[in-house]
Amino acid sequence: MELFRALGALAEPPSEELGPIAQALGLGGRPTSAEHAELFQLNLYPYASVHLGDEGMLGGEARDRVAGFWRALGLTPPPEPDHLTSLLGLYATVVESGAPGEVRRALLWEHLLPWLPAWLEKAKEIAPPFYRDWAELLEAALVAEAEKLPADELIPLQLRQSSPLADPRREGLEPFVTSLLASARSGMVLVRADLARAGRELGLGLRLGERRFVLRALLGQDAPGTLRWLAREATLSSARHRRLAPAFRPVGQIWADRADRAAALLEELAETAATESSLPEAEPDSEPSPAVC
Amino acid sequence: MNLDALDRRVSAAKRETLARGETFYPGASRIHLAAFPPKERWDDWVDVGPKGDERRTMLVPTTCFNCESACGLLAYVDRETLQVRKFEGNPEHPGSRGRNCAKGPATLNQLTDPDRILAPLRRAGRRGEGAWEQVSWDEALDDIASRIRAAISEERRNEVMYHVGRPGEDGFTERVLAAWGVDGHNSHTNICSAGGRSGYAFWMGLDRPSPDHANADVILLISAHLESGHYFNPHAQRVMDAKQRGAKLVVLDTRLSNTATHADHWLSPYPGSEPSILLAIANELIRSGRYDREFVRRWWNWREYLEHEHPDAEPTFEEFERVLRDLYASYTFEHAERESGVAAETLREVAELVASAGTRLATHNWRSAAAGNLGGWQVARCLFLLNALLGAIATEGGTFPNAWNKFVPKPIHTPPHPESWNELTWPAEYPLAMFELSFLLPHFLREGRGRLEVYFTRVYNPVWTNPDGFAWIEALTDESLVGLHVALTPTWNETAFFADYVLPMGLGSERHDLHSYEQYDGQWLGFRQPVLRTARERLGETVRDTREVNPGEVWEENEFWMELSWRIDPDGSLGIRRFFESRERPGERLTVDEYYRYLFESSVPGLPERAAAEGLSPLEFMRRYGSFEIARGIGPVFAQPVPPEELEDVHENERGRVYTRAAKPDSLNIVPQPSPDPDEEGRRPVGVVVDGEILRGFPTPSGLLEFYSTTLADWGWPELAIPAAPRSHVHPDELEDGQTALISTFRLPVQIHTRSANAKWLDEIAHTNPLWIHPSHAERIGVSTGDLVRVETEIGHFVVKAWVTEGIRPGVVACSHHMGRWKLGEAGQRQAMATVALDHEDDRWTMRRKRGVEPFESSDPDTLRIWWSDVGVHQNLTFPVQPDPISGQHCWHQAVRVRKAEPGDAYGTIVVDTARARAAYERWLGLARPAETHSPDGTRRPYWLLRPLKPARDAYRLARKSAG
Repeated sequence: MELFRALGALAEPPSEELGPIAQALGLGGRPTSAEHAELFQLNLYPYASVHLGDEGMLGGEARDRVAGFWRALGLTPPPEPDHLTSLLGLYATVVESGAPGEVRRALLWEHLLPWLPAWLEKAKEIAPPFYRDWAELLEAALVAEAEKLPADELIPLQLRQSSPLADPRREGLEPFVTSLLASARSGMVLVRADLARAGRELGLGLRLGERRFVLRALLGQDAPGTLRWLAREATLSSARHRRLAPAFRPVGQIWADRADRAAALLEELAETAATESSLPEAEPDSEPSPAVC
Repeated sequence: MNLDALDRRVSAAKRETLARGETFYPGASRIHLAAFPPKERWDDWVDVGPKGDERRTMLVPTTCFNCESACGLLAYVDRETLQVRKFEGNPEHPGSRGRNCAKGPATLNQLTDPDRILAPLRRAGRRGEGAWEQVSWDEALDDIASRIRAAISEERRNEVMYHVGRPGEDGFTERVLAAWGVDGHNSHTNICSAGGRSGYAFWMGLDRPSPDHANADVILLISAHLESGHYFNPHAQRVMDAKQRGAKLVVLDTRLSNTATHADHWLSPYPGSEPSILLAIANELIRSGRYDREFVRRWWNWREYLEHEHPDAEPTFEEFERVLRDLYASYTFEHAERESGVAAETLREVAELVASAGTRLATHNWRSAAAGNLGGWQVARCLFLLNALLGAIATEGGTFPNAWNKFVPKPIHTPPHPESWNELTWPAEYPLAMFELSFLLPHFLREGRGRLEVYFTRVYNPVWTNPDGFAWIEALTDESLVGLHVALTPTWNETAFFADYVLPMGLGSERHDLHSYEQYDGQWLGFRQPVLRTARERLGETVRDTREVNPGEVWEENEFWMELSWRIDPDGSLGIRRFFESRERPGERLTVDEYYRYLFESSVPGLPERAAAEGLSPLEFMRRYGSFEIARGIGPVFAQPVPPEELEDVHENERGRVYTRAAKPDSLNIVPQPSPDPDEEGRRPVGVVVDGEILRGFPTPSGLLEFYSTTLADWGWPELAIPAAPRSHVHPDELEDGQTALISTFRLPVQIHTRSANAKWLDEIAHTNPLWIHPSHAERIGVSTGDLVRVETEIGHFVVKAWVTEGIRPGVVACSHHMGRWKLGEAGQRQAMATVALDHEDDRWTMRRKRGVEPFESSDPDTLRIWWSDVGVHQNLTFPVQPDPISGQHCWHQAVRVRKAEPGDAYGTIVVDTARARAAYERWLGLARPAETHSPDGTRRPYWLLRPLKPARDAYRLARKSAG
C-alpha cells in the first residue's frame, strides 16, 4: 500500500525529496512549485471538507467527521486530517495494519470516494502534464480498491449529510452562491479556472478574487448568461459523472443526480432572470471570506 | 499499468532509501495551506485580500526587529501602491523556518502607527519640558559631529557614549565606535543576561548556550522559552518538534507561565533556590555514578581543581571523583525541598529523567532566575553542570557553546580596538562583570566619575526599563552631567522625552542589518533590509539613500553612522574617515550597497556559489531570500584535533595547555571569542592535550571545561569558584518580617519591552500588569482580584491591582515589567501610555496618573476603537539598583511588603525617595571586591574574558592612583 502513501506525498509542494518518489511511480518530469500552487492552492483544493461540506470551505462538520474517523481508529488526527495527503497516508496505514476489511471499506467509501472521483475528473481537465498523469494513476488505484471492496447499500454519510442546492428565490443570493461552490451540493467542482473561463466565454469582466467574489461579480454583470453557463456546466458535469468507472458508480450516480437537479434549477432561474429583475439582491458581505476557497 | 508492481517498486525504493539512513517521505511539516508562495513567484504573487479581492504583490524578505530572535519576515509589497500590505514568515529562513510569533506580523502596525516620529526633532525648551522643533538631518548631524570631533580631538574620548538596547545587529555599531577610537559602548546586558552569561562563561569561555532542542530527549528550561526570551520562536518550534517525538520537558518557574503549562514537569521553586535543585540533581547523578566518567575525565579541569583546593590529594581522577562526591553530598533532595518548597519526590523523578537523557539533554537559562538573584549567575553554572556531567555538550540533542553556531562575516573595514578604558561603564569595582555596569551610570555621573559630552540612546529606554528610573531622570536633566542626549528611536519612549535630539530610525522593514544567532547546530546569516528600497530596485529604480523610500524623513542606522562618521572627520585627519571610505570609489563615502556587496561576496563561504547557481550576485541573492545557511551539523569543535600547520614551536604547560608560534589562521568568521593569555614567551594558546592528542579544547585559560574557575579564585572569589548555591538576597532568611519576594523579570508574551507599544494588535491583546498573588496570601491581607494594593520596596512604593491566582507560589508575588508606559504630555504612544504628572521635592519623587488610554482620532480609524484604558504600572521606578558583585547583573527580585491600598492611594501612583536609592546603591557597591584590592596581576579585568569593544591590552592596566 505504499502506492497510496506515495501518491499522497506528491500532493505536497514539490521538492528535491519528492523526486525519487515520482520516479518510483514512473511519473516523468518534475512539477514546478508554481504549477503545484496553481493547481492545489489556487484551484483544486485537496481537502475533503471543501468538496463535501455545505459551505464549500475548509473545516466544519465535514472535516470533523474525518477527524472522528482518525479518533475512532485510536489515532490523533493531524492538523489537517482531511487533506488528500493525510487521507491517502491513513489509507495506506489502515491497510498495512491489517485492520478489518470494514474499516478499510469505511475509509474508502466514506472519506475518499465521496469526493475524489469528481475531483480527479477536474484534475485531469485542468492540471499540467505531471499532475494529470498523477491524477490518472490515483484514479486507477482507487478504481482497483473500489473493485476489491465494493460499496454497501448505504449512501455515504458524507454525501447524505450535505444539503441540496439553495434556491435564491427563497434563501437569497449568498446561500445560493455558497451552495453552487460546495461541490457535493451542486454536483459540480467549480474552480477558479472555470469561472475565469466563464468570464471569457460570456465576454464579462473578470473581477479577480476568491471563487465567491468572482461568481458574484459574474452574476452581477449578466445574471441570465451566467446562470445559463452554470446550467450547461452542470449538465456536462452530470454526463462526466455518469461516465465514471463502473466501480465508482454508487457515488457517480449521486453526483450526477445532483448536477442534474442543479442544471434544472439554473435553467429555470436563467429564464426568470431574463424576464424579471434578475436575482435577489445580495446581502452585504459583512463577514470576510477566508483567504482561499 | 500494473498497480501491484508499482506498489512493490515504491516499497523497494523506500526500503533502499531508509537503509541509507535517509528520509523517503519528507514529512508533513510543510504542508498544505501552511505552504508558502513558491519563491519563483515572489516577484509577482497574487494574494487574496480579506474581501476576496486579488492583489498583486511582491514578496520581499527582511528580518523582524521586535526581539533578538531575528526571525525571517516576508513583506507583501503591493505592486501598485508600493505599500507593505502584510508580513508573514520567510520560509527560507533557517532559524525561524517561516514561523513567527505575533510580534512579527505586527510590524505592520508599527509602520502605520499614527504616533510614530517622522522627522528629526530638537528640543525647544528645557530638557524634559516636552517642547520640540523639527530640524533637518544636516543640522542635527553637524551639531552632533562637531561635538564628537571636539571630544576626540581634546582627548575626552570617554565622554562619547552609545547606549544600546537589543542591538538587532552583529557588531556594526561596535565597529563604528572602534573607528572613532572610543571605549563608548554601553549595553543593556547587565539588566538582562549578564548573570546567565557569567554562569556559562566561567565554564567554557563562551557566554551563551545553544541547545539542540529538536534532537533532545529531555529539555530542561529555566526560562519561559515557549513564549518569550532570546530566541524563543526558533527554539519553541524545536522544543515542540522534540515533544512530538516524545521528548520530555521540565520547566523551573515560580510562576505558571505558558511554557510551564506545556511541561511534563513544572517545578515552582521559591525564587533563588534553583541552584539547590540543580545541585541536588547533580548530586544524584554523581552519587549513583550516572555521569559520563570518560567525558568528565577528559574534559574537566579536575587536575587544576585538585592542585588548588586539595594539594595533598593524589592527583588522580579516582581521587577527584571521591572529592566530587563529598562536595555535593549535602545537596540532597530533602535539602532542596527545604530551600525550594518543591517535594523531594518530584525532584527525584526529575533527576531520573535527567539521568535518562544521556548526551541528549538540552538545557537553557538566560534571564529568569539568573537575572533575579544575588549570585544568580550560579543558576546557569549549576545548570550547565548537568550537561558537563552527562557529556551533553555539543552533542546531538545537547547544548552547544553559542559561538560555534554563529557566523559573523568579516566586513570591508575592521578598525582596531580602542586604546582607552571607560570607567563609567567598566568600573574597577566589578572586574569580572560580563558587561557594562550600565544601570549604575547615573550614580557614577552623580559621584563625579566622569561626564558625557554626547550620549546616544539607541532603541533603548533606560528611564523606563532600568531600575531606579528617577536617578536616570535626575542625571539626564542635569546638563552638566550629560551635554547632549541623542535618542535614536523609531518611536517615542520615556527616555526620548529627556533628549536634545530625537532622530527617527527605521523599523524592521526600513533598515539594513545583519544577524547570525545560535538557534540550532548550524550557522546562518539573516539580512534585514528596507523592503521598499528593494521593491523599487526590482522595478528598475535606483535608490541611493534609504530616506528616499522610508516614510517622512525616517532614516536607518547604517547610513546614519557612516554619514555621521564622515562628518566627524571630513578631511580624514583624525584617522576615522578611512573606515567609512569606498573601495570602489576611493575618496567617496561607503554606501550600504557596497558594504553588503563586499561582505556577501568576500566573507560568506558558499554564498557566491549558491547565488551564481540561480544567476544572481550574492547581494541580489540576499535581497531576494533574506537569509543563507552557511553550515549545518557543526558538532563538537572542542574535540577536533589541531591541524599540524597550526603547531609551530609548540610549548605544552604542566597541565597540558598547548601554545604555538604559528599565527592564528585568517577566518572569515569574526564571531567574538575569549582570548586566553599567551605563554610567557608569547605563544598563543592553540589547544589542549587530552589522552596524548592535541585537541582544540575550549577557549578558557585551561583549554578545558572549568569546573573550577581559577579566574574566580584568583580575583577574590575562591568560595564561588566551583558550581555552588549562594544565598539570594530574597532568601527567606534575608527577609524581614512581613516581607515577601517580588518577581518582575517575566514578560507578557506578545509584548517586547519598549518596542511594541506602537503595535495596536499587541496592545489590544496585552496592556496591563496586575500583581499575581496566591489566594492564601490574598486572603491574609484581605484583597480580591481587582483591588488596589500598595507594594513597598526599599526606596518607595507603587499602587497596582491584584490578580488572585493559583499560578504563583504562595508567599511570592509577581508583576511583569512589561507594562506601565507613561508620557508627560501629548507626545508619546497614545494607545499604550498613560498620561502622568511628575513632581519632586528634593529627593522625593511622585508620579500620579492623570488619565489612562482613551480612544482618539487619527489617520488610523482603529484608534477610535480603543476600548482599554488601563496600561499597567511602571514598577521598575521603585526598584533600587542591586548589582551582583561578580557578574554585575542587576538582581531584579525585590523584597517587598504588599498590603491593601491606603485611602488616597490611586492606581498607578508611584513614590520614590532617591536618597534611599543612593543608600541602596552604596550598600550593594560595598559587596564588590574591586580590582584595586583583588587583581592578581595589576590589571582591571581578566584579559581573556569576553568584552564588547575590547580595548587594547595596555588599557587593561590599572591606573596608578596618585598620592595626595
